[in-house]
Amino acid sequence: MVGNKWLLFPVLFPMAAAMIFLFLKKEKQQQIYIFVSMLIEISSVIWICITNKASLQFWQIDKNINIMLQTDGISCFFACLISGIWLFASVFSLEYMKHEKNTKRFFCFFMMTLGALMGLSFSGNFMTMYLFYEMMTLLTLPLVIHSGTAQAMQAGYKYLGYSIFGAGLGLAGFFFLSQYCKETAFVPGGTLAMESAAGNETLLLIVFLLMMIGFGCKAGMWPLHGWLPTAHPVAPSPASAVLSGVITKAGVLAIIRVGYYLFGAEFIKGTWTQQVILCFCIFTIFMGSMLAYKEKLLKKRFAYSTVSQVCYVLFGLMLFSPVGFCGALLQIVFHAISKNILFFTAGAVIYKTGKEAVSQLKGIGKEMPIVMLCFTMAALSLIGIPPAGGFISKWFLAEGALAGELFLLGLIGTVVLMVSALLTAGYLLPIVSKGFFTKQSEFEKKEPCFLMTAPLCVLSILVMVLGMFPGGLLDSITKISNTLFAFV
Amino acid sequence: MQTLILPFLVFFPMVCAGAGYAVGHKKESIRDYFLWIVTAIILLVTLFLKGEYQFVLKGFAALSISFSWEGLHRILAVMTAFVWLITTVVSKIYLKEHPNVNRYYFFMMMTLGAVMGVFLSADLYTTFLFFEVMSFTSFVLILHSNTKENRYAAHTYLAFAVIGGLVTLTGIFLLYGTTGTLAFSELKEALLHLENKNMAYITGFLILFGFGAKAGMFLVHTWLIEAYGQAPVTATALLSCVLSKTGIYGILVLSGILFLHDEAWGMMLVYFGIFTLLCGGILAIFSIDLKKTLACSSMSQIGFILVGIGMQGVLGEHNALAVDGSILHMLNHTIVKLILFLTAGIVFFNTKSFDLNHIKGCGRGNPFLMLIFLTGALGVMGIPLFNGYISKTLIHESIVEEIVFLEQSAKSIVEMQTIEYLFLVGGGLTVAYMTKLFVAIFVEKPERYCPKHSSSFLKAVLCLCAVLPPLFGMFPHLTQDIIAKWSRGFVYGHPPAHSIAYFSFVNLKGALISAAIGAIIYVVFIRTALVKKTDQGSVYIDRWPNQWSIQKQIYEPVVLELLPFLGAFIARVLASVTDGLIVLCELVIFNNKMGKVIPKEDSYFSVYEKAGKKIFKDNLSKSLVFFGAGFAFAMLYILW
Repeated sequence: MVGNKWLLFPVLFPMAAAMIFLFLKKEKQQQIYIFVSMLIEISSVIWICITNKASLQFWQIDKNINIMLQTDGISCFFACLISGIWLFASVFSLEYMKHEKNTKRFFCFFMMTLGALMGLSFSGNFMTMYLFYEMMTLLTLPLVIHSGTAQAMQAGYKYLGYSIFGAGLGLAGFFFLSQYCKETAFVPGGTLAMESAAGNETLLLIVFLLMMIGFGCKAGMWPLHGWLPTAHPVAPSPASAVLSGVITKAGVLAIIRVGYYLFGAEFIKGTWTQQVILCFCIFTIFMGSMLAYKEKLLKKRFAYSTVSQVCYVLFGLMLFSPVGFCGALLQIVFHAISKNILFFTAGAVIYKTGKEAVSQLKGIGKEMPIVMLCFTMAALSLIGIPPAGGFISKWFLAEGALAGELFLLGLIGTVVLMVSALLTAGYLLPIVSKGFFTKQSEFEKKEPCFLMTAPLCVLSILVMVLGMFPGGLLDSITKISNTLFAFV
Repeated sequence: MQTLILPFLVFFPMVCAGAGYAVGHKKESIRDYFLWIVTAIILLVTLFLKGEYQFVLKGFAALSISFSWEGLHRILAVMTAFVWLITTVVSKIYLKEHPNVNRYYFFMMMTLGAVMGVFLSADLYTTFLFFEVMSFTSFVLILHSNTKENRYAAHTYLAFAVIGGLVTLTGIFLLYGTTGTLAFSELKEALLHLENKNMAYITGFLILFGFGAKAGMFLVHTWLIEAYGQAPVTATALLSCVLSKTGIYGILVLSGILFLHDEAWGMMLVYFGIFTLLCGGILAIFSIDLKKTLACSSMSQIGFILVGIGMQGVLGEHNALAVDGSILHMLNHTIVKLILFLTAGIVFFNTKSFDLNHIKGCGRGNPFLMLIFLTGALGVMGIPLFNGYISKTLIHESIVEEIVFLEQSAKSIVEMQTIEYLFLVGGGLTVAYMTKLFVAIFVEKPERYCPKHSSSFLKAVLCLCAVLPPLFGMFPHLTQDIIAKWSRGFVYGHPPAHSIAYFSFVNLKGALISAAIGAIIYVVFIRTALVKKTDQGSVYIDRWPNQWSIQKQIYEPVVLELLPFLGAFIARVLASVTDGLIVLCELVIFNNKMGKVIPKEDSYFSVYEKAGKKIFKDNLSKSLVFFGAGFAFAMLYILW
């Protein structure tokens, strides 16, 4: 074991904490325990991100197979984002889970998943990433099937099937790819050995396509998007919030690692594969928004919305241009925040009123003003109304799409982005307007308690402030993209 | 010079909106006075802030926002602040006994900030940013009374705002993609070197869509009639006087900066303008509702402005008349519409209706109201000695000028001549429908008793406004010429070659022709076809067929039914490809008859629920936990 051992801490700590958690009896104790361990986790992550650019050679299984952790720009970005969102989600679930059974099991897996995600973020080569990727799939499964109903079981099956198949495609792709790589570690700009790759471009491009489809499964890209709308609605709200806000981003992270750190932007840019995947993204963006527009169940609507919005990210990534990359990372942040707000509000509504269909939400704004105000902020951001955050990411995405060499595809992409924004307005704004502007005059106040509203409020303020002053965020993203696009 | 006053003008109202909302919960009257003071401060600052200023905030929302204080920005800011002060002050009276007044004031102040942001903006990004904010905050103003029709109107408005905003945004993306800048000062040069102008025209057209929708341009005007008719009268005044001008501002940026002196672009705008003014005028003539007539009139006047803006491009370098005319007509329209909507508000206050048959004759024997109404009406008709005359004459003369140019260079003048005639007919329509309103309210005999309440405070406010049209109309050289001189720099206009003799016969001719056409239309068409004589006096009939509405016949079916259906069909087909394949595979593989395998039901998954109290039993979660634990131990072992 060579390197900085502290890198293991954020990975192992949640797992260990989850084990100890099982022995806690009192509810109050449990709550404080969860909150404190999340705080320790996030501060350790931030501390690692700030202090050391280090790597850890953890376990050398074979000459080519080893488990290795490292911190670089993109891993810090994801680790901070994920642990931040996790903190909010756990605070929210402290209250929410009161009306569910088996909370111990839920929190146990909830915390362990965070460990897997940290491992995923800090992974330094493909094997490590694959290990934590599968671990994450398995650990989130109990979250999906939490309620234990037949429907949830079905959804769990589907989730498992899709995820394993997707990850399998990715692994199979890597078997081919590793023949042509200089090393298996992630290197900004790609590790393809051009001499050995020469002549085998078609094979490699097909491999790339398959890997993208495989990892795109977690990110909800067509054709493997099917699990999202099934799994999200049955899971408890905090779980679907992190499934949608964070787990889908794990797929995105894998795609970034494969696309930018193994193949390298230079190799993919301008090939037919890039165009095919861009087409997939455009399909998905449109399809997700359209189905969300037609959907009547609130959480399922958000699930379709995730399908569409996460593909904005993939669209930006697949442009393989600095501006597109920047837009993609911004979209990751803003979508993670806004989608969490939306699922939290859905959770708060279910928790307090039990309403699940959109049509039942008339006057909800009068009953839960704070919650619905946060909903409005998130909706504005998701549509991309300035000055909310989503607007900025959309701006960069469209700019990247139009500036690149793929003018026609970029143009179509931009138009689809706009159509999708319109549909997003179509499926979110009526909820707001029916929620607030209703004829009924008598209302019972049903505002949930502090533990639920606080994460909502903080996140909504964050999405607005980051939208108005994204300077710091942009700087860190530019630093990452500079390392990736050195060849330009 | 960099100054913080400019962001103050934009953000101070927004901050005060929040403060006012908080105060309003406690005590309403304090909130009212507080907001009066706020708007008064804004007006004073805009009036007395001399000189030229810039403000740039780098890094706001990824690019930067920049404000500028000079010329047109300043004129429009003063106009906005003035209208806002007046409407805020009278809102106290008009909104008495309305519910949700607190909310209304909050969004009114938010809108003020956003409108200021639009008018002060010095790049298209800032314009768009605040334009969007404005669209959303003003939506709540329209939704105020929350009846069924009202909700329909407000949502139509919102739909147009969202769709328009997104189309404009697409255009802005394209523009930024091709030119790399959005600052007004750099856009002028930006398209000059472009070889293929078609892409530029598409870009411009996309941007025009959103701004045109807000202004009420033909084809995207349908929301206007509904929304103006349904909003509370003070909100309608704001919509018509100020918010429609934000659309015009965007169009000015397009045609006065981006497509400076571009003939094809100008010609397109002229046609849009002509259609807008005719359509608005005709709808106004048929309407039998006071507020709706004024709404259609707004649309018609926007048409006049659009013609003026279009002529700027058609005339090229020599566009002094068109520049001055279009900018002045913006201001004049604001002044007269403010007066007219406030008068309409008084009428409504007394009669609780806008229906001409209901309010018929309610102004009879109320000379004060009649005078006020007349100043507004004569102003909008373009009668000499009132303000509208000056700007309409300027626009008309710019068309005449183009005809002269064409004659000199021996080109066909048929097209321009037609445009001129249509323009004069449009003026005639204005005269006709304003006469219709005047006769209905002040000449007809009332059927029932009409109260004539009106506070002396309101009278004073109205007098203040009513002074402006004659003042601007009688002393154009002292008032309007100066305003034009300040503001024409925005669209790179030159001063006219010589001072214009507004009251010479050549210039009076146009107004007289229009007035004559209007009189003929009124006597021949309105009195015979739209008014029925009965024993109780005349009755106004609504002869506009209900189904003649582009919105109900085309837009709604297409946007709400056809497109979603097609889209959903495609999306469902796409979405079910994978799941369909899986089902197909299952059918083929798990088929007993074909001698294939049928897997057993997964007992572990099924008994999971029945596990009972114990968390750990023989089930999946146990395996997973053990996996996790084993993993952790392995890690620890390797660590030490």
